[in-house]
Amino acid sequence: MLSTEQMRKLSLLSDTVLYPEAVAFIGRLVREERCSPLPTSQVMGLLNVAYASRYTELHEFVKHQRDRNWPESRSDIKLFYTELEKFLTAMQKRRLRDEFHLVEGAPNTSGGRQEVDELMASLAHDFIQHLVAENSVLAATQADEKAKERANRRR
Amino acid sequence: MKTGDEMKIIREVSNQAEYFYADAVKLGNHAAHALKASHRSQMTSLETIAESTLKTSDVLDYVKKQTARFPYWRQGFPQHSKPDEGFGERLKNYLEGELAKRRDSICSTRLGIGDKTEADQQERRRIHLLLMRQFIRQMVVQYEYEVSTGSKKRES
Repeated sequence: MLSTEQMRKLSLLSDTVLYPEAVAFIGRLVREERCSPLPTSQVMGLLNVAYASRYTELHEFVKHQRDRNWPESRSDIKLFYTELEKFLTAMQKRRLRDEFHLVEGAPNTSGGRQEVDELMASLAHDFIQHLVAENSVLAATQADEKAKERANRRR
Repeated sequence: MKTGDEMKIIREVSNQAEYFYADAVKLGNHAAHALKASHRSQMTSLETIAESTLKTSDVLDYVKKQTARFPYWRQGFPQHSKPDEGFGERLKNYLEGELAKRRDSICSTRLGIGDKTEADQQERRRIHLLLMRQFIRQMVVQYEYEVSTGSKKRES
């Protein structure tokens, strides 16, 4: 069970760190790596796992999606999960303690592991929520642009 | 937080509300043009989220989700200086950009709240949320006014 202080800190991190990082994360994939935004089916799957699962299960889901044998036409999805897995791993291994200073319990105890799981679940949940919101705007913008192009071609 | 400090914050947020009232009216008119009276529940939901959440990012995520989901949230407004800018994008930019600037300004010049310690950052975040709530309240009132007087004008 997380303390009130940890919950307050998580809210602060969500607004000031995770939100801009999620916007930058998906923006980089779409604008620099020329990926398509994540399709709705993937968004729904990821959100459902993020809302319903413990962090270890969410992490397993992300690794499973990364390691799937995606066809060439869906390589964007593989890249998305590859980058998301790297992001989450870095957060758990390094940032949680060294940057966010969130862990209160002793490491390598069952209580400490549970605390880390709860903290990571909260951080990952918020990051994914911000990611999905930004992704949906990028997808809608692209769809509008394509519709405009089609309309211009018909003229 | 001392009572005097809290009163200062409330007063500053109210002062800011006077300054951004004209902008809230403009956004409210844009909302009325884009959402019409038939999508009133979306304005109510936005207000409910802003009043109940403790995170500014929850409000921004909601605006983004609605913008992506409903074409009318992406509708421009002929009377806006950027007529192609959709309502959702314009609202998000205002909440995220303009109100953050106002928060920074009142925190550093009027309230003496820094941005280095965690306590200061928490306070800045709370003030940003208070400004967002105030702005959204004003915008929704204008939206309600505009859709109701707009429909009366059409009837007459």
